[in-house]
Amino acid sequence: MSDLALVLVVAVITFATRIAFLIRPRPVPGGPLGRFLEVFPLALFMVIAATGLAAPEGSLAVTPALAGAAGGVIGAIVFKRSLWGVMALGAVAFYVVRALTG
Amino acid sequence: MLQSPSFRAGLRDSVLILFAVGGFGLAYGVLAVSAGFSPWLATFSSIIIVSGAAQFTMIGLLSAGTVPVLIAVTGLGLRHLPMSASLANMIGPQPLSRRLRLAWILVDETFGLTVRAVGAGVEDVVTYKSAADLMLYSGWIIGTAVGAWFGGAIDPEAIGIGVLFSLLFLGLAAPMIRTRRDWIVAAAAVIATIISILLVPAAWQITVAAVAASLVGMVMDE
Repeated sequence: MSDLALVLVVAVITFATRIAFLIRPRPVPGGPLGRFLEVFPLALFMVIAATGLAAPEGSLAVTPALAGAAGGVIGAIVFKRSLWGVMALGAVAFYVVRALTG
Repeated sequence: MLQSPSFRAGLRDSVLILFAVGGFGLAYGVLAVSAGFSPWLATFSSIIIVSGAAQFTMIGLLSAGTVPVLIAVTGLGLRHLPMSASLANMIGPQPLSRRLRLAWILVDETFGLTVRAVGAGVEDVVTYKSAADLMLYSGWIIGTAVGAWFGGAIDPEAIGIGVLFSLLFLGLAAPMIRTRRDWIVAAAAVIATIISILLVPAAWQITVAAVAASLVGMVMDE
């Protein structure tokens, strides 16, 4: 498969998964599915963050990214869960520890 | 639409994402060209796929062949299913063309912003998300193009773009943690991530861990 064809197929797969529940209006799911959908965004974002901070190279490792994670958590507490607060303190902690550890 | 308070709020809230995603797009452009894509194909892929996770995976597995790329991309794409169901609930009945457009850029970042905005009582969800999508789409394409054509002079590793991107998601998750159940889901997500990294193939780690943590939240009362 050529690179262009691969890009097109990946685009089709990605769009198909995105449109699945949007193609036809459906009633709001309740019960277990409703509760699942309610917490899924939080779970997903925490997983993406944890993956990048705990295993920036693909496997678990102690790196300055963990300092960034700690800074981000402190930023969340100090700045009342503000997005900017998390990013600012997380970035500062990451850069400082990376500079100190080389 | 441009005068709508929801549109302006969407633009304002996604400024940070514009830069973060632009930086990430830049990294993608650099890597895609170094993996063998032409600058044109790298940019085109960002225009039609609009998924950092899928595109980085595609580039990362390019040398392994087509089948591993397609399996991995499908695994990553499964996380969109609950996202699209959630978004459908948030926007209510809409014309097909609008739903197609919203699905086109159903990405983690603007989805997160939209969830947060709905929680804060935004007036027009569709307009808000459209504005955020516009910012993200612009940043992603421009970033990719710059990285693809001028990437030789830029080192994404030096600015720690991966860590900044992870912090963005931590920042998006933070305001969602309000109840005891939210705290437990967040903790379960971290634990599930660590277990997934140890036990699950890379392409499925995010999906498996997110579903596992969501199942914990599903069986709990508020």
